[in-house]
Amino acid sequence: MEKASSRLRLLALLVAMMFIALSTRLWFLQVLAVERFTDLAQDQSIRFVPVETLRGRILDANERLIVGNRMSLEVRVNRAEMGDDTEAVLQNLAEVLDVPVRRLVQKLATDRFFARQPVPVAEFVSEKVTFYIDEHPELFPPDVVEVVPTSVRAYPRERLASHSLGHVGLIEAEQFEQLQDEGYGLNDSLGRAGLEAVYEPWLRGEAGVRRYVVNADGEVIRELGVDPPVNGHDLVLAMDLKIQRIAEQELVAGLERSRSILDDDTARYLSANGGAAVVMNPNTAGIVAMASWPDFDPEWYVRGLTQEQRRYLFESRPLLSPSSNRATQFALSPGSAFKPFVTLSALRHGVASLGRAYNCPSEYTAPGDESGAIFHNAFPADFGYLSISEALKLSCDTIFYDWGWQFYNRWTSDQLGPEPFQKDLRALGFSRPTDVDLPFESRGVVYGAADAPKNPDLFFAGQWQPGGDILISIGSSYVTTTPLQLATAYSVIANGGRLCRPHLVDRIVAPDDGTVKNVRGHCRSLRYPKSWLQYIRTALTRVTSEQGGTAYLPFLGFPHSEIPVAGKTGTAERPGHQDTSWFAAMVPANDPQYVVVVMAEQGGFGAETAAPIARRIIERIYGIEPTTNIQREGTD
Amino acid sequence: MAAVAGRMWADERRPIRHVDAMLLLVVGALVIAGLFLLYSATNQTLRQDGLDPFARVERHAVTAVLGLILVILAASFDYRFLKVYAGFIYTGVVVSLVLVLIPGLGTTDPTATAQSWFEVAGFQITPSEFAKLGLIVMLATLMSELRVSAPGLPDLIRLIAVAMVPIVLVFLQPDLGSAITLAAICVGMLVVAGARPLHLGVLAVTAVVLILLAFQVGAIREYQVDRLTTLFDPENSSETARYNLEQSLIAVGSGGMFGRGYLGGSQTSLDYVPEQHTDFIFTVVGEEFGFLGATFVLGLYALLLWRAIRIAFLSKDPFGTYLAAGVASMFAIQMFVNVGMVIGIMPITGIALPFLSYGGSSMLAMSLAVGMLETVHMRRFK
Repeated sequence: MEKASSRLRLLALLVAMMFIALSTRLWFLQVLAVERFTDLAQDQSIRFVPVETLRGRILDANERLIVGNRMSLEVRVNRAEMGDDTEAVLQNLAEVLDVPVRRLVQKLATDRFFARQPVPVAEFVSEKVTFYIDEHPELFPPDVVEVVPTSVRAYPRERLASHSLGHVGLIEAEQFEQLQDEGYGLNDSLGRAGLEAVYEPWLRGEAGVRRYVVNADGEVIRELGVDPPVNGHDLVLAMDLKIQRIAEQELVAGLERSRSILDDDTARYLSANGGAAVVMNPNTAGIVAMASWPDFDPEWYVRGLTQEQRRYLFESRPLLSPSSNRATQFALSPGSAFKPFVTLSALRHGVASLGRAYNCPSEYTAPGDESGAIFHNAFPADFGYLSISEALKLSCDTIFYDWGWQFYNRWTSDQLGPEPFQKDLRALGFSRPTDVDLPFESRGVVYGAADAPKNPDLFFAGQWQPGGDILISIGSSYVTTTPLQLATAYSVIANGGRLCRPHLVDRIVAPDDGTVKNVRGHCRSLRYPKSWLQYIRTALTRVTSEQGGTAYLPFLGFPHSEIPVAGKTGTAERPGHQDTSWFAAMVPANDPQYVVVVMAEQGGFGAETAAPIARRIIERIYGIEPTTNIQREGTD
Repeated sequence: MAAVAGRMWADERRPIRHVDAMLLLVVGALVIAGLFLLYSATNQTLRQDGLDPFARVERHAVTAVLGLILVILAASFDYRFLKVYAGFIYTGVVVSLVLVLIPGLGTTDPTATAQSWFEVAGFQITPSEFAKLGLIVMLATLMSELRVSAPGLPDLIRLIAVAMVPIVLVFLQPDLGSAITLAAICVGMLVVAGARPLHLGVLAVTAVVLILLAFQVGAIREYQVDRLTTLFDPENSSETARYNLEQSLIAVGSGGMFGRGYLGGSQTSLDYVPEQHTDFIFTVVGEEFGFLGATFVLGLYALLLWRAIRIAFLSKDPFGTYLAAGVASMFAIQMFVNVGMVIGIMPITGIALPFLSYGGSSMLAMSLAVGMLETVHMRRFK
């Protein structure tokens, strides 16, 4: 057995090697890689179920509710799970929801969502329908059709401020990649436009999470704990609900009335197809009201846009464009409403001075210009020599033409450095974003010599011409502004020379402890002497209150002694369209509390459409018995 | 005095005085540990199904008691008579392996370990477990009758042919695990019998060729290939096979040095490891008792194997040596392949962990094996 024993040693050796192999591997798994496996064990045995949070509300300046939340039972369909049942499931759904199958097919045929992202096909379904779907898994496979209680936006004020508020929508496929990192899930909603989009991080809140221990079959064994959700912050607006409603009502009514005015230039009735009204507190730059027409109902988005609504919002004739906020997204030439700012720049650079008088002929030709270009006054009369105040009151173009030419002339002879005119106008906020708390703001333009090489088509011979400065001086052609930009600039005249960032939101309030974050105007002084601003305001009161003032007739009968209105009309030509009607006002003129800017597309003269709307708004803000019959005549 | 001395001598050599107590203690420790592990692995699921959480433990304990009786019976039986019955035993094993293949007589569940069994009075009897013992007895008999110190090639071929019959039959069930065990028993015993390394090498090559051939012919079922390839190519194997291995590794790995405490393992209590109470019972040790617990259990097996090989050493006749060596080979390969598959260094094949895995036939067969070791140990002087 000697040999056998040595062979048994061999067997023992083999066995020993087995133990070495096993314990080495165990050491690796249990000691060196323990963390990885512990994480894996936890990952699979703990389920996180999000607890929905309530989105922050939107309140007006007096904390009246504008946007709230309510519950909706939403039917969602998971396209990825449908497979062969597609037709049957859709047929069943159409029956229970009482909609045509075609409609469901349309809703599902969207590429806005990921393939595995459930698509909402019906909102606010009844509990009866919910039970029916739950009780018939054979008709509605649970992995395909789900009814989810979800919190959606509530709009108790209906269409009020629809453009400013914006709307909330399900996350879209293309955004998801980047938003995933910020903790958004596939079925989350987020602000898509207006305040909802800009203040998304505040409004959103923080979803809570419930942690469960689950076994291999996914059954919940016990709850581990819950992090309660943190509701979103409330937005308290500078907006006054009542004034917002006034602005919207008067804008619609004023545009409607203007459609019965015959336009002299085109021999057609005014189209008055759209407009905007902005009411701003010039001292805080808080936006008290911002109206844009045509408008829409934000509720449409909650229920999912119908085909007709989608067409109306996005495919109506470009002139209508109901989804656009005309107060911030439409930049048009302001016409004579621009003149106060031209005056400020002319005063600053010695092109004009307050003590002098200026000739106001019916026509103007730039000195030394042999091209034969003649610039006309709005009316073919010679007014003789006028003070600046009278030039503003009558809106004499020819005086401003000459200032424009002088700016050009001094620029060419380099007496004033590089384009001080454009620089001043831009400093007043034109051609740059106001940074208002709304998305997709239009910046408008103030063209200057530097723009000629970049856009040669816009300029005669591809060069900056004297006519450029001349036309800017009456707010025409080479300058465009949004109503909000104009209101911001008028606020500078109203508040003693400070340019501020306009804002809809006044403060952001935390839901739990009421902590407040104030939104400020971030004003900075533009260093215009107070006396100049005072002079312009006084001059502009003559526009509305003195005979011959361009807005005298629309303001006839207004209690000027109680509430002096400093206002300026604007009538701007727009190629291919009827004139744009503008009116900008500061009330009360001696210590302005409101700046009101009204713009009416294809509204004719400033005095025809915009001024009457502004007057009505002012009357109703101050509770003045409204004048029933406003004279809608007047000039530029 | 002489008579007295003679009696004393005879008394000294009475088998009952030479029970290997250490072997019994080690096996007892394993069985008791197994009952605790089994409770941890099964109580939650049973509770969930509204059953007695001790149901499995109780059943296993009953089998263990039956096993103890088998140990006593086998130990009191002189192993040398086995030589006489070897032919009958071997034939009986082969016949039962054939019968179990016949549908209606035998039952198989290819989703689990793929062992086939007879259903007798509510008990499942798995002939492949007992075939291991039958093969050990048959080979030990044949080897002990060789007149040469080392088997020549013809002997070798004869021995292998004898082994191949049950191996192929078991393989047809298709119980890959038992086939591997039978093959390892054969190889282990051949090593002890003194087969030449060259012959063993040729044997190995032939085995590889045969296995490849089996793949080619399709005798190896798809899920078996799956389980095997999971180890080498985890990305491409089937989902269930991959899941098995993953869950098993997570359970053992998350145990760490000291384990998560008895009944404290989430993998175990939440039922993440499939087949945990049978083939994957070692994951409970790994998860709940950590590296220390796992090495302790391995230590028990080391003691067991030490005792088995020691008995092979001590036996004065070759038959006893071969018997003990065969049993040692069987314990070793089952322990190694089972724990190895649980921790991902061996392919997943249905092999029970001796004394720990739930399963009546395995427990009874292993008990018989212990009884065989004891009878060899007790009768080592004559």
